[in-house]
Amino acid sequence: MRTQAFRMRPLALLMAAALLAAPAYAGPAEDKLMSCMRANIPKTLRIQEFDLTATDRAGASRLLRGKLFAKREDEKLKSMLRLVAPADVSGASYLLLEGDKADQMYVYLPALNKVRRINGASSDGPLFGTDLSYADIKQVNNAFSGSAPTLEASEKIDGRAVKRISVVPHAETGSRYSRIRAWVDEASCVAIKAEFLEGETVRKRLLSPAASLTKSGAYWYAAEATMSDLKEGSHTTLKVTGVKSGEEVANRYFDSRNFYVGN
Amino acid sequence: MLRLLERLASRPWLTLALIGLLTALAAAACFDFSKRELKIGIDPATERLLPAQDADRAVLDRTRAVFGDTDPVLLTLRFDDGVFTARNLAAIEELSEQLKQQPGVSDVFSLASAPNLLASGEDVEVSSFTQQAAADPSRIAQLAGQLAENPVYHNSLVSEDGHEAAFALSLHDFDEAAFRAAGYPGRLLELAREVTGVSTVRVTGAPVIKRATTDALLKTFMVTVPSVLAVIVSVLLLAFRDLRITLAGTITVSVALVWTLAVASLLGWKIHLLTALTPVLVVTQGLCYCIHWLADYVQHSDSKTAGARAHWALKHASLPLGLNALTTVAGFLALLINDLPAIRQFAVLTAIGTALAALLALTLLPALAQIFGNGRYREPREPFYHAVAAQLSRLAVRSRGLIISIAVLLLLIGLGLATRLQPNSDFVRGFPEDSAVRMDYEAINAGFGGANVLTVLIETHVTDALTDPGRAREIDQLAAWLRQQPEVGAVYTYVDLLKLLNRSLNDGDPAYAVVPDNAPAIKQLLVFAGGDQLKRMLDRQFQTAAVVLRVTVDDAATLTAFAQRVEERLAALPQPMAANLTGSSLLATRTVAQLTSGQWATVALTAALIWAILAVIFTSPRAALLALLPNLVPVSIYFGLLQLTGIGLTPTTSLIASIVLGISVDDTIHYMVRFNREARSRGNEAEAVQAALAGVLRPITLTMLALCCGFLVFLGADMESQVQFGALAAFTLFLSWACDITLTPALASFARIVTLWDMLRLDLGHSPQHTIPLLSGLSLRQARTFALLSNMEKLPAGRRVITEGDYARDMYVIIDGQVEAWVERNGERKTLASLGRGAVIGEAGYFGQRRTANIDATSNVRLLRFDSQDLERLRLRHPRIAATVFRNLNRVQSERIARMTAMLN
Repeated sequence: MRTQAFRMRPLALLMAAALLAAPAYAGPAEDKLMSCMRANIPKTLRIQEFDLTATDRAGASRLLRGKLFAKREDEKLKSMLRLVAPADVSGASYLLLEGDKADQMYVYLPALNKVRRINGASSDGPLFGTDLSYADIKQVNNAFSGSAPTLEASEKIDGRAVKRISVVPHAETGSRYSRIRAWVDEASCVAIKAEFLEGETVRKRLLSPAASLTKSGAYWYAAEATMSDLKEGSHTTLKVTGVKSGEEVANRYFDSRNFYVGN
Repeated sequence: MLRLLERLASRPWLTLALIGLLTALAAAACFDFSKRELKIGIDPATERLLPAQDADRAVLDRTRAVFGDTDPVLLTLRFDDGVFTARNLAAIEELSEQLKQQPGVSDVFSLASAPNLLASGEDVEVSSFTQQAAADPSRIAQLAGQLAENPVYHNSLVSEDGHEAAFALSLHDFDEAAFRAAGYPGRLLELAREVTGVSTVRVTGAPVIKRATTDALLKTFMVTVPSVLAVIVSVLLLAFRDLRITLAGTITVSVALVWTLAVASLLGWKIHLLTALTPVLVVTQGLCYCIHWLADYVQHSDSKTAGARAHWALKHASLPLGLNALTTVAGFLALLINDLPAIRQFAVLTAIGTALAALLALTLLPALAQIFGNGRYREPREPFYHAVAAQLSRLAVRSRGLIISIAVLLLLIGLGLATRLQPNSDFVRGFPEDSAVRMDYEAINAGFGGANVLTVLIETHVTDALTDPGRAREIDQLAAWLRQQPEVGAVYTYVDLLKLLNRSLNDGDPAYAVVPDNAPAIKQLLVFAGGDQLKRMLDRQFQTAAVVLRVTVDDAATLTAFAQRVEERLAALPQPMAANLTGSSLLATRTVAQLTSGQWATVALTAALIWAILAVIFTSPRAALLALLPNLVPVSIYFGLLQLTGIGLTPTTSLIASIVLGISVDDTIHYMVRFNREARSRGNEAEAVQAALAGVLRPITLTMLALCCGFLVFLGADMESQVQFGALAAFTLFLSWACDITLTPALASFARIVTLWDMLRLDLGHSPQHTIPLLSGLSLRQARTFALLSNMEKLPAGRRVITEGDYARDMYVIIDGQVEAWVERNGERKTLASLGRGAVIGEAGYFGQRRTANIDATSNVRLLRFDSQDLERLRLRHPRIAATVFRNLNRVQSERIARMTAMLN
């Protein structure tokens, strides 16, 4: 049985950090799909606006609006997230620099007027209290990294032909999931559905309406996605607008001393 | 009704086929034959005993809706060399990962997931304790101290002695059935031992206790029911010494049980703490009805065919048996005044089961008895019972005043003690001391400052309200106040987390371990750094918070007092904060309080209903009161005993009074009816006391034994509450029996009563109030009442009724037949008159004169004989009837005087 690492990049560009990872290797069928998915990865990314609506099990929801800048350098991802709404968190920023051994994270809180480097943050922890974690973002948007990739079946979702592929996350990533399964739209090579399994149980499910598949230049992405935590009964919806890829993004956005400055 | 029963009895095979078909359908409704298990579910959750609209339950439901399950499973491991070693911390890390992957587990809070916030310059360390240990083993030595300083983790992740590590498992949308199906908690214990190699692993928490409760209920159901059926076989064999009779009775009560379970299944009701008691109650009640019917059936076995005996038994037993069932059903239905759906379900189901058992005793049992053949049954030998009855009745008559005084005294003492009764509930102490569920609970409770998890739900209904510094400080002060309470082992709030975050992001400066001064700072800290822990303490709109407490107490009294104190404190929180204390154990306590608050009303209603039924049966409110007293005394003693032993009112003990009242009054009815019959036929109440006791002592002793044995089956149950129920119900029934053989005879001598079935059976001929002058103006019921308080005598033709010259105080009314009045004068018989229906004779004797003529029956006659004592009794109990009878007597006398005067003229 082959045990090859691979990375695929579908979907939602959210923290698009994602889209900028190293190529993956798999068998012929998987390779073809991976190549198609990799074609969706831009060198740089700028999301003018994203909305994260986190809804808890009781139906109470919180909206966070922000913008995101990302670029890939030496196959390492740099991304910066800045919240613009609601007003009381406006300006709060988050910088993620992918490293060889560990990622570096910085946070800026305007109310404290301080930048702090966060060490040892759990990649499984909720991002801004939503159902998305940094690890999920990386898996879905950036890496889907793991071993034993298997092209399981061809199916249809919303009338669109999709390929179902699964992967076992690398043990060294400390992923809480035993397997990740993705349904990749054949036409756009974007995953419009993904399931994250704990043991045999699906813990989280990510769904993107096929209608939300959008093309920005040469790149496809899903403009809307909902991540549901099936055990918690909560969900978070992500909507992105104003996606620009392939343009130059200023380095100051990724500088740990200045990332929070400016617009 | 009797005709229908007789028709069914005359077609035993058809009856058997019909009931067999219904039983097959009932069995299919309540049993899944393919899976070999009951279709009826088990519901161990005490909070669901509360009505859906109950405010306390609503608070718990809201808490769960926002924060998920508030009842974590607490798993602890004991490391002999202490928790803080590299190997042990690695084991904790590994187990945490494994636990997260278990079905239903949504979150695991442990040293492996709890971030140990540390600040160093501009760096903030947020990795967990185990991660820090793995990254740098030299830091392990400092972890214990860091943990102790952390208000959120202190005493919750590691025990005070540093040897036990805890894992709090949150389960979401994982009900009791799923918990059981997953093999929890055994699966968790096995996994912990397998992964860590640690032998001392403990587990507790509401889901674990509920699972143990489910097991106990299932055991009660699966073990006690067969046991009580075995009791039935034994009692029937002992009573009738015949296998066919025993088989017939056993089949009858078994069918009653299957039908009852089918009713529960069709109504969609589950077996819970209370309905688990129903099968045994139905079976024991059914046994009593069978014994009563069979006692009549086996009589005259040498002279009658099975069919004739069945009809005879139906004729004699159906009405009293039906009325007995009615009083018992009334006792159960009185529980309907309680608001709790669980009590109502118990009441309705047990009442239905009791009624079905009575119905089957009058339909299936006669059919089976006939089908099983024309056996000759040995008449029971009763010299022993007769001897005991003779002694007891002598005592009852001789020491009547003393017995009644003692009974009244015990009644008053019991009632006095009962006024101090308090509700009691056992969240975990309902299990035996050596049970794993209790030992684990108590060990974790002691080692971790409480295993009983409660939550203060703080609601504002205003978005971001809880990011206001003032409100955050109010919650912080509340947490500080809670930590000062002796019952509280640990308190966690989002404010604790907020303070830790603030300090960490401010270089670890202790001066910043406070609530930030502005709302944006609070919100930014919470949004950016809240993590998984925050989800359990604050909702996503920052308007609802959960303050989680671990308390060391779980008994009702202490918990109620604590809750009262907390609620007073919560009331002091400023608007818009509205707070409520909630939790499974608290809800259980409040359920019990509600359950028991209606206790007195329920007992009073039961007594009133039974009194009303007795008043109808005995056609006298006073006689009904006398019949009720022997049943109130044991109930009163029972309540006194609850207070003296400290058992208190629990969900199960609060049912006993109504149940015992409903059941035990049957024996009183039997005695009173028998006494009435004996007193009427003997004309001597002292003799009647003994004869009645001799007649009923054996059957009421056997039914008492059957009932007590049935209830004592609960002694084998796992849960103390069920053991207490069985023991106390048996003891109270025994007291009832003791009262019925001492106090009831003592009281009976006061009362000559008229029973309903006497009235229904009494034949006074056509329209007696119009054809018998003495009864003119009375209704048929009144005429029968008068007749039953007199003495009906049947004499053959030629028998002398009155002899001239005799002194006698009684007089007669001819109901039917002919008599001749004559005198002998100068050796010559002179016929004075030939008298028929309605004629009054012997009135001279009644008014104190010698008999003035001879009266002989010239045909078979039925005469109503009464004397001044009978009329005085009538005057006291039924003054309206007495007034009419006296008026009619005057009229009869006046007419007779007028006739005599006319003859003289």
